Amino acid sequence: MSLGKYLALDKLANLFNILKQNGGIRGTLYKLYRQEEAKDGVLVGEDKFGNKYYENPRYFYGRSRWVEYNEKFHLNYDASQVTSEWYGWLHYKTDLPPHQDPSRPKYKWMIDGNENLSGTTGQYTPYSTTRPKVEAWMPKKAE
Amino acid sequence: MAGTGRETVRAAIRQVRPIMSTDFWEARRRALGLYKAFYRYIPYIVKYFDIPKTENDCRWKIREYFYKNACVTDIRVIDLLVLKGYMELKEITHSWSQKGHIMAYWQPTVERKPCDFICKFLTGVD
Amino acid sequence: MLRQPLSRALALSSPARVAPLAARRYADAVPAQPEKVEVFIDDQPVHVLPGTTVLQAAAQVGVEIPRFCYHERLAVAGNCRMCLVEVEKSPKPVAACAMPVMKGMRVKTNSDLTRKAREGVMEFLLVNHPLDCPICDQGGECDLQDQSMAFGSDRSRFTDIHFSGKRAVEDKDVGPLIKTIMTRCIHCTRCIRFASEVAGVDDFGTTGRGTEMQVGTYVEKMFLSELSGNIIDLCPVGALTSKPYSFAARPWETRRIDSVDVLDPLGSNIVVATRTNEVLRILPRTNEEINEEWLSDKSRFACDGLKRQRLVTPMLKDSRGNLAPVEWEDAVVAAARALRDCPPDKLLAVAGGLADAEALVALKDLLNRLGSEHVCTEHYFPTQGAGTDLRSSYLLNTKIANVEDADFVLLIGTNTRFEAPLLNARIRKAFIHKETDVALVGPKVDLTYEYTHVGDSASIVKDFASGTSSHEVMKRLQQAKRPVVILGADQLKSEEGPALLAYTQELAHKLQENLQDKEWKVLNVLQRTASQVAALDIGYQPGVGQALAAGPKVVYLLGADSGVVTRESLPEDVTIIYQGHHGDVGASIADIVLPGAAYTEKRATYVNAEGRAQQTLVAVSPPGKAREDWKIIRALSEVLGAGLPYDTLDEVRDRLSQVSPALVAYGDVQPNNYFAQARALAQSLQKPVSGKLDVQLKQLEDFFMTDAISRASPTMAKCVQAVLKQKNSPY
Repeated sequence: MSLGKYLALDKLANLFNILKQNGGIRGTLYKLYRQEEAKDGVLVGEDKFGNKYYENPRYFYGRSRWVEYNEKFHLNYDASQVTSEWYGWLHYKTDLPPHQDPSRPKYKWMIDGNENLSGTTGQYTPYSTTRPKVEAWMPKKAE
Repeated sequence: MAGTGRETVRAAIRQVRPIMSTDFWEARRRALGLYKAFYRYIPYIVKYFDIPKTENDCRWKIREYFYKNACVTDIRVIDLLVLKGYMELKEITHSWSQKGHIMAYWQPTVERKPCDFICKFLTGVD
Repeated sequence: MLRQPLSRALALSSPARVAPLAARRYADAVPAQPEKVEVFIDDQPVHVLPGTTVLQAAAQVGVEIPRFCYHERLAVAGNCRMCLVEVEKSPKPVAACAMPVMKGMRVKTNSDLTRKAREGVMEFLLVNHPLDCPICDQGGECDLQDQSMAFGSDRSRFTDIHFSGKRAVEDKDVGPLIKTIMTRCIHCTRCIRFASEVAGVDDFGTTGRGTEMQVGTYVEKMFLSELSGNIIDLCPVGALTSKPYSFAARPWETRRIDSVDVLDPLGSNIVVATRTNEVLRILPRTNEEINEEWLSDKSRFACDGLKRQRLVTPMLKDSRGNLAPVEWEDAVVAAARALRDCPPDKLLAVAGGLADAEALVALKDLLNRLGSEHVCTEHYFPTQGAGTDLRSSYLLNTKIANVEDADFVLLIGTNTRFEAPLLNARIRKAFIHKETDVALVGPKVDLTYEYTHVGDSASIVKDFASGTSSHEVMKRLQQAKRPVVILGADQLKSEEGPALLAYTQELAHKLQENLQDKEWKVLNVLQRTASQVAALDIGYQPGVGQALAAGPKVVYLLGADSGVVTRESLPEDVTIIYQGHHGDVGASIADIVLPGAAYTEKRATYVNAEGRAQQTLVAVSPPGKAREDWKIIRALSEVLGAGLPYDTLDEVRDRLSQVSPALVAYGDVQPNNYFAQARALAQSLQKPVSGKLDVQLKQLEDFFMTDAISRASPTMAKCVQAVLKQKNSPY
């Protein structure tokens, strides 16, 4: 075992890498406050919301690929903000990120919208789609 | 014929086993004792449970609950009601019940049933 | 198991087939009963009049013999052979529906031979009957199903399905109301007999014979009768079913509520079938005195108009002049303000054709308390002379059931076929069975029976009344023992109306004086709507012309939809309050709309054209925020401060009985009087008349849409279109 490893110097190097990547001590502390963790990794890509996707195989499976949500969400980030293209890569279904994968299908019925809107004003509340049993009389509009 | 009726009734009353009181006046005394007990504890209710009601509100509410049973004449029923009242008082004095239980006495979500014609008409009751 | 209840079969104890004795009150009509004959049905002796059939005699004892083709009100056909019973000393079983009893006949309705005969007939019927029960509308109320369970054999011997199979027949198109699946037809010929006897439209018949026999109209022709829906009830299997009701529900799922129909003035008794708070269909209820067991098409099929164009919320005109939905409090307060600020003599109320007696009396009481006497009905009746004070001047005095005992009928200015179809059916019944002759003064219309068309000028009535007519009808009238004169109330609208009524009263009085039968009443006036009689009884002024001319400031319309009240005929600043259940003419001109309940949604009293009070019961609840009519008026009165003294329906009915006890005597008709006095009061009105009598409903396409409910019904619209299309067809 090399001296560096014996004296845990590689761990120290990792720490400095993390600090450097996350914008210094201030940046790292902010990241810790917002995301509760600060890691270093290779930026693999960005999606349309602005979320950045990182990878670092040094971490074990499950933690080696992660997303850092766009700053505009502040503390209101949510797992449903990950777009559908990046979902597969993030969950280890595929190793190819969307911009490198030639076999991603593109149909004209594919829609965009992602984010879970529960609890907000845009939430879905079920409504009756049946015709009412009694048709009410519509008065004529006066000219 | 009425006389025989009264005597049989009296005999029947004597035969029925009383719960606590043997005659109406004793039951009345018990009910009034309960009322006074509640009355005395009102300042503590307001203070310990920290409810947003005044002492006067509590007094009127107790009055209302007592008046709800004003037309009961059966002594055993009066006794039982008094016993239940004391049970509730015990729960309040020992703080086994909380603010929510006390506030529930004001029943804010129970809608008064419409009683006269125009209220029944506007709410659509038959 | 049999469709008709036993009580009906029992009611036909006499071969004359008239209304029960209680409904007739004339002295000389009951003939001396001939000697009764003793018959033994299953060893039970029964005494019957000679001429009754074995089936009727068995019904008297309580034994129901199964049948398909026999119907009490139609001629006997005897072609289904299901009623075969064994009669001792007879070589073969006899058809009980056709065999008249003989003295000492011993009939066995449950012997082996009878049972074998029934099983055999049922087997033959089922050979060619398709296996349609799951998709057939008649399932659950099918005579074939019930009788095969009760009388048929338990196993089938039908193996021909692997060879030539069952016969199939093409469906016939007889109109938008009747769905025909002729494969299911068992050729009982009830529809043919009904169409030819009761409806008078002789279009149905059979083509071919044996297996190839088909029942239909042979050429594609719509069944152009206003009673066409009754063949749906008559057909014992699912060959003729109701098209609007097809695949809607099974009979055990529905709740059936007795009620009364208000779309025509006769008040036919109906059964409203509902499920999940919507009216699915309307069936007739047997009432010997009004509608027997028939029902006109409009009453039967207009029930889907109860779901369209409904008023479900109170509405107020907003600042832009559009009606906007509001809550009840706002509407009632606005209406009360309008009523309070109006000077009493400028306050007018108009009652429409579907208003019930409770609402009428509440409205009149309210207006009287506010100081106004202007409560009117839409339809006019002359108030000169006796006017509406004498009840006999505006009712059908010969009751509907007694019309079939008449021997001469004179119709003046009325097309009974479309104004009161069941009255027309009675006249036709008299025409067929009793050789009654009919004469018509008015436009020449098709009445389904032959009549003498006297002319259409009003002076004919004058000639009849004064006895100066040389027409042969005059002679017939004078010789008739039970003449009936029916005057249509529509004719009394014109300025000659009072004179016409006066002449008719004169004529009727002259005829009545010479009658032997003192209980027979000659004069009849046929109203057009179901509410007119109740309104006139309560004291409404008939006719709005005068009141409109006076220029009211507030007009309260109680379901007034016939278009008599228009915004143009009223001053500019008028406030119109409309209370009703359909958004028709009245609601479109209104400033305040108060939604009421239709006749299936309230418990209400309606008085029919003969003066019989009947009540409708609640079948479904009023839609949306609609309330009962009298309750709206009572709430208005409370907000106004002129509170009406009744809070519950019983109290309103007490008030009705105060006004007139006849209004709450449900099911009874008071015999009417004072004809002589009415005629005497009207004598001064006998001025010369010159106009022509014209009826509003001349053709079948006019019949279907006459009031708010039928105008909103898509089924009625389809009927009108189909009738117009049929006119272009060469058949």
